[in-house]
Amino acid sequence: MTEMSCREIEQMLLDYADGQLSPERSSEVAEHLAGCRRCSDALKALQRSLELVQVVWEDGWADAQAIHISKQVKTRGIPRWAYATAAAVLAVAACWAFWHYLNRPAPQPLTVAEIERRVADEGMAARLLAATELLAGKPYAKELVKSQYNYIVERYPSTEAAATAKTRIR
Amino acid sequence: MGWIESVDQTNADLAGQADQAANELSARPNLTDVFLAERERLKRIVAGMGLSASDGEDALQDVSIQALQRRDVFADKAESVRWLIKVTVNRCPMEHRRRRSFQRHAGEILRRRQEIGTQSDRIDVKAIAAEELEIVRETLQELDGSLLALLVLRYFCDLNSTEIGKVLDLNQSTVRSRLREARMILAGQLMQRGIEP
Repeated sequence: MTEMSCREIEQMLLDYADGQLSPERSSEVAEHLAGCRRCSDALKALQRSLELVQVVWEDGWADAQAIHISKQVKTRGIPRWAYATAAAVLAVAACWAFWHYLNRPAPQPLTVAEIERRVADEGMAARLLAATELLAGKPYAKELVKSQYNYIVERYPSTEAAATAKTRIR
Repeated sequence: MGWIESVDQTNADLAGQADQAANELSARPNLTDVFLAERERLKRIVAGMGLSASDGEDALQDVSIQALQRRDVFADKAESVRWLIKVTVNRCPMEHRRRRSFQRHAGEILRRRQEIGTQSDRIDVKAIAAEELEIVRETLQELDGSLLALLVLRYFCDLNSTEIGKVLDLNQSTVRSRLREARMILAGQLMQRGIEP
């Protein structure tokens, strides 16, 4: 087998493995693979790596079963200005959180990773709170808003947004 | 009498147009309903992109909010589904702790696999060597986000190249060549690092 034909086969190998080639092309590839160790190893590696990727994905999928999505998602459109407001609130909250954690006297020295995690939590909680606040006045979104506040409190208990969400729930 | 007939005709025309407009509006899919109907597929995407359950939940919360904003925008359900998939795929790399589930080492994956029984009929993995699983896990962790998204949509969500192209605004040959690139990277890592296929 020439190097060139191996290159040509390599271009078709994925389609061959996925069963996307015409019967004629498929026969040509199979014939080449029977006499070429390099290409047949490449095919095995393609197949094996996909099997292993599926194992990793399924491991994540087992976790994803725990994802809760509210069935109360029912409302009308939200005006664009409200999103702009939410973005501004988020930006201010993120800056505040960042400043707060940089300047706060800590009893024990915080690691950079811990600061980063807390800032991320503050930011995400503020973002969710801002989105929830947009819906808070809508009567048809009452259940969704309640579940969102509860989610923020449970998921980000130590954040400012969670404190606000608690007062809203009360 | 002529003008009365003319007014009646005008009224009938207007009523017909109003009915048609009402029918078109009611025929439009409600994006929030489509979101709920498609939530398992969207969960599959966030899992495939490596987000942990909590990060995935945050991502899908965001997608649901975007769906609320764009309610009644799309003409048919297929278009709505494509939009939801695209938004979800694009949302995943924004996660601060991205691909956290890919940080779980091969040994732990295998242990969890035994404990919670995540085996499925679609995977014929008789004996998984931790070493090769670790190589693939690390490669997934480092893989470019756009290539990972294509892999997830094609091999974890079972979309074909045409459907993926419509979702991500790519032509079919681009989808195929990028999929080939991603698969070759994964296979190449297995071969380069001395694992016998």
